[in-house]
Amino acid sequence: MKIDQNKCVGCGNCVPVCSMGVISVVGGKSRVNEEECVECNTCYRTLRNEGYNPTLVRLLRWTLKQFHLAYDPPPDVCPTGALTPPRLEWPRSLRAEFSDPTIKHSTTGTGGRGTSEIKSNDVTGRLQAGDIGLVAELGRPGLGARFRDLEKVAKALAAAGVRFEANNPVTYLMTDKSTGTLRQDVLNEKVMSAIIECRTDLAHLPEVLAALRRAAGEIETVISAGIAARCNADGSVPFADLVRESGFTLSPNAKTNLGLGRPLYEERQALASAVAGRD
Amino acid sequence: MTNTLHRQGTPESLARDFIIFLHPARGINRDGVAEKTKRFLRMALEEGPVNVGGQGLNLYTADNVELLIGNINDESSTIAATFSDPEAIRRLVARLKKADFGISVNISGPADIVDDILRSQGIVRHSIEFSLGVLGRTERLPTRQVLELTTMCGHGMVSHNHARKMIDQVKLGKLTARQAARYLARPCVCGAFNLDRAEELLAKAVEMA
Repeated sequence: MKIDQNKCVGCGNCVPVCSMGVISVVGGKSRVNEEECVECNTCYRTLRNEGYNPTLVRLLRWTLKQFHLAYDPPPDVCPTGALTPPRLEWPRSLRAEFSDPTIKHSTTGTGGRGTSEIKSNDVTGRLQAGDIGLVAELGRPGLGARFRDLEKVAKALAAAGVRFEANNPVTYLMTDKSTGTLRQDVLNEKVMSAIIECRTDLAHLPEVLAALRRAAGEIETVISAGIAARCNADGSVPFADLVRESGFTLSPNAKTNLGLGRPLYEERQALASAVAGRD
Repeated sequence: MTNTLHRQGTPESLARDFIIFLHPARGINRDGVAEKTKRFLRMALEEGPVNVGGQGLNLYTADNVELLIGNINDESSTIAATFSDPEAIRRLVARLKKADFGISVNISGPADIVDDILRSQGIVRHSIEFSLGVLGRTERLPTRQVLELTTMCGHGMVSHNHARKMIDQVKLGKLTARQAARYLARPCVCGAFNLDRAEELLAKAVEMA
């Protein structure tokens, strides 16, 4: 993020809304620690531009100060519109793609941090009975992550035999999907969070979870981990016991796909088989 | 919407926190989804959501919800509606089942309560995703009080410092808990931030002070 030093009046409203806590007021003006900024644009989107003349606002502040009063704008405005998202070049452009949910990834063409996961599993059949989907979101909640830490975790999971999801934006940055190695030119980039998405099966789940836990001890940030699967025919959860035995606890809340999508994966497969048989 | 997966809080607090959304599949049922999404959103609005969002707007940043609806097209990002009342979710599920949009429907919320709601409507859940919690350098994280607020925006748009400031403003009597909750809801572009729950958490934070 760029803060126009000619416009900034140092009200400080951008300081608390900064997702990474990297804006500070120095010498009466807000400044961004560019090395730590993830280009999420939260400050720009959240603070309404009031469009006031900076000179007038400074004069007002000075005048009020003479009477021991303070200029105190509402907390959701930038009085002078001093914030401007900069045009970013590769690899810094990755920061915005991974951090600003309104921006689409140049690699996958989709927005957000990951893929559809189980959200359309009823029609895509992405996870079949026995498949386990695992998501490791580095940097969440609220700390941010560098790709060098993502590579450490990806390598650990690859060694445990997972298959990385092809359309995930982190997978796109891998130069070797069998080892989890990422492009070297992105390793120092920092993002709000990034999701490693992979697949394993019930038999290998304990080994994969153990690898994830070990890798988590070797990084500088946090991992919000998640696990997904197609439910059993009666709606029960196939991995519940294995997760518990592996020393993890399932959250009380979950994301549930209701199975209302059409055509169902099985219907599409049956149709494809019928067409193939007719040909 | 992995952004709705890792919400933190007590089971009692999470029991009043639901997000529901349609999710089309590219190449399968995405064509023509805009009209279905608009109908879904209108149905959701009739059931009294605490927030809705998508297209970079939420209930508290869109000038009016018609602007949000009008912007929906077949390529739109997911449109979500957030509820505090499980009975509103039950009614909406019944209406969505009857409407038969043919688009995948997902609910984030307490797994047991959601399962009960689905079974009451004759639905057996298809797939499920749980959080396994937070690993790694957890000592760098703020207090649970702050995390319960900020994890309601899974994209991390609600900063820890913003939550701390709003807690302080409520404690000082400069803002009501509802006003502070509205300020916190602004950065969450998906509309997954539950305003009712935020208000409760902020009020509780003041009680504990």
